[in-house]
Amino acid sequence: MNKILLILTFMSSAFSQTGFEIAKMVDEKPSPMDMSSKTKMILTNKKGKSRSNAMMSKSVDGNKKQIIWFLEPKDDKGVAFLKIEHDNKDDEMRMWLPAFKKVRRISSKKKGDAFMGSDLSYEDLSSRDLDENQYNRLDDGTVNGKDCYVLEILPKAQAKSAYTKHISWIDKLTLMGVKEESYDKRGKLKKKKEYEFQNMKGYHVMKRVYVEDVQKNHSTEVTFSEIEVDSGIRENLFQEKNLKRLPQN
Amino acid sequence: MAGIGQIHYSGVIKPGNMYRLLDNSEISLPYRLAETEVGYSKGDFEIKTNSAFEYRWSNNENELHLREAYITWYPSWGEVKVGKQIHAWGAVDGNNPTDNLNPYDYYYMFLPGAERKVGTISGSVKYYWNAWQMEGIFIPEHEENRFPFGEKAFPLDIPMFAPELMDVEPGSEFGFRVQSTLGSSDFSLSYFDGRDRSFSYVGVTDSMPSFFYRKTSVLGFDLVSFIGDFTNRFEIGYFSTENDAEVDIKTINDASYIQFAGQVEYSTENNIMLSLQIIGNQISDSILYYSRATSIDGTITEDDFQPGMGTPFASFTDLGLSFSASANYYDDALELMGNTFIDLKDSQSMLGASAKYSPMDNWKLILSFSKFMGEDGTQFHEMEDFSHLKVGLEFHF
Repeated sequence: MNKILLILTFMSSAFSQTGFEIAKMVDEKPSPMDMSSKTKMILTNKKGKSRSNAMMSKSVDGNKKQIIWFLEPKDDKGVAFLKIEHDNKDDEMRMWLPAFKKVRRISSKKKGDAFMGSDLSYEDLSSRDLDENQYNRLDDGTVNGKDCYVLEILPKAQAKSAYTKHISWIDKLTLMGVKEESYDKRGKLKKKKEYEFQNMKGYHVMKRVYVEDVQKNHSTEVTFSEIEVDSGIRENLFQEKNLKRLPQN
Repeated sequence: MAGIGQIHYSGVIKPGNMYRLLDNSEISLPYRLAETEVGYSKGDFEIKTNSAFEYRWSNNENELHLREAYITWYPSWGEVKVGKQIHAWGAVDGNNPTDNLNPYDYYYMFLPGAERKVGTISGSVKYYWNAWQMEGIFIPEHEENRFPFGEKAFPLDIPMFAPELMDVEPGSEFGFRVQSTLGSSDFSLSYFDGRDRSFSYVGVTDSMPSFFYRKTSVLGFDLVSFIGDFTNRFEIGYFSTENDAEVDIKTINDASYIQFAGQVEYSTENNIMLSLQIIGNQISDSILYYSRATSIDGTITEDDFQPGMGTPFASFTDLGLSFSASANYYDDALELMGNTFIDLKDSQSMLGASAKYSPMDNWKLILSFSKFMGEDGTQFHEMEDFSHLKVGLEFHF
C-alpha cells in the first residue's frame, strides 16, 4: 500500500511540474565552471557546397564570459571575439581586428545577426535568462529514443529576441536540450536545431550542434573537440589584451 | 601560460595591379606583393615581426620592409611592448584625428587600418584596472610620413625631391590615453605631444626657405555608443601647433585646429552593413597669426595652412561625407563593398566599389575600382587621372 502511495505521489509530482519548473531545473543543473574547446563550423548552402571555419574557445560562468580566437580560414586567423554578459546592462561584445590593430566594440543589441555568416545568431550563442521567457509545458515527446520534456518557450519583450517562440525537447534524464525549433517574428518556423552531448567529469557537455535554417535552406554543423572542463580558467583571461594573443597549447 | 614556446606565423601573397580607367595604362607604383607575420610566444612573453615585400611591376624594383618587430610582456595587470610597432587609437573607422603615434605611408594612404602606417620604435605600457585602461607611449625619435617624392604616377602633387630639412634633432614624443566604459558606451581621452608628421615651410634662413616639423600637441576624445540598432562612433582632436624653428623670418607661427569624425552604422535585416561618416577640419582663426615671407614662392596665408598631423583626408577637405555599404554572400565567399566620399565644401567626390570572391579556402580574387571627380581647382580634379581599376589575387597562409 505504501509502495502504491509512493508511486502515485511521484507520478502526480512529475506530471504537475510546470514549464517554468522544468526550465528552472535545466537552468540549475550542474554545469562546468569553465570550458575550453576547439570548434569546427561547417556551413552548407542549398546547393550542397560547404565552407568551414575553425576556432578555439574558452568560457567561464556558464558561457557568460567567452573568448573565441579564429584559426581558419587563414584570412580570419588572428581575429578574436570577446563576449561578457551582464545582468543589469547591455552585454559587451568586442572584436580584435589585426588588420586595424584595434579592439572594436560591436553592438550586442542585434542579437539576431548571424555569427560569422553561420545559421547561429548571437542570440543562439547567448545563455537564455530564465526570467526573460515564459515557459509552457507541452505533451512529452521522444527524440532518438530519449524521453523528453517538451517546452514552449516564449521570449518576453525585455529579452529583445529575434524569435517569437521556441519548442524545446529536453532529455528527462540529463536535462539537456536535444532538439529545438525556433520561430521568427512572423511566427513561421525559422530554425531546427539538434544537440549532442557527452559526459565529462560528471557534466553533460555539448559535442555537436546542427542548425538548419529552413527558410534559407542552409545549415551549420558545429563540432567541439579537445574539450576540457573545470581546468581553472582565470577570470582575467577575459580581457581585451588576450584577444591579441593566440592561445598557447 | 608557462611551458613550451610556440612559433606562429601567417601571411598573404597578393599579386595585383592597377590600371587607369582613362586609357587602361598601368599605374606604376610599388605595392606590397607579400606580407608575413612571424611570432614566438612563451609564457607571458611574445615576440612578433611583421614584414612586407614591396614590388613594382614596371621595373622589378623591390624592397623588403620590416614593418614591425617588438616584444610584448603580458603581466597580470596589462601589457608592455617595446620595439618597432604600429599603434592604433580612435573609435571611428578609417579616419582618426586622435591617432598620431605613427607616420603614414602615403604610397598606401587609400588602404585601411594598419596598412597605411609606418612602424615606429617605441615603448608602450597599458594598465588594465576593472573597466579602465590606461596607456602611455614613448617614442624616442620622431619619424615622418613616407612621401612618394618623384612618383609621377602618384595622384597628389608631390615634389620631385624631398626638400632639405633643418639640421635639428626633432626630439622625442609621448602619448597618454585613458579608456573606460560608461553605461553601454566606451569613451577615451588622449593626449599626444610630438611633431608634425609632414614638414612645413617654417621660414627663411639666410634667404633660403627652411623646412621642418612643427611642434604639435593633440588633445583627443572618442566615444562609441549604441542607440537602438545604431552604432555611433565619434572622435575629435584639438591640435595646437607651434613653429619653434630658429629662422630669420618665420612663416606660420602658432595655430590651432580641430579635426573630427563621426560615424553611424546600421546593419539591415539582410545583413548589409551601412556606414555614414562625416569628417571635418576647422582652423581656429583667433590664434593663427603669421608674418609674410618675401621673395620666396609668394606668401603663406591662412588658406595655405596645411595640418601636419591628423587624418590624411583632412588635406583634401574641410568637411566631407563618406558613405559605405558592405555585405557578404555565399557563406562569406563573396564580399561586396561600395563607398563614396563627397566634399561638402568644394565640388569634388570619389566613388569606389570592390568585390572579393573566395573560390576556395584561403584564396581570394579581387576586383575594385576607384573614380575621382572634381571641378577645376580641386584636388580630386588633379586626381582624375588616378581613377583606376585594381585586380588582384590573394593567398593566405
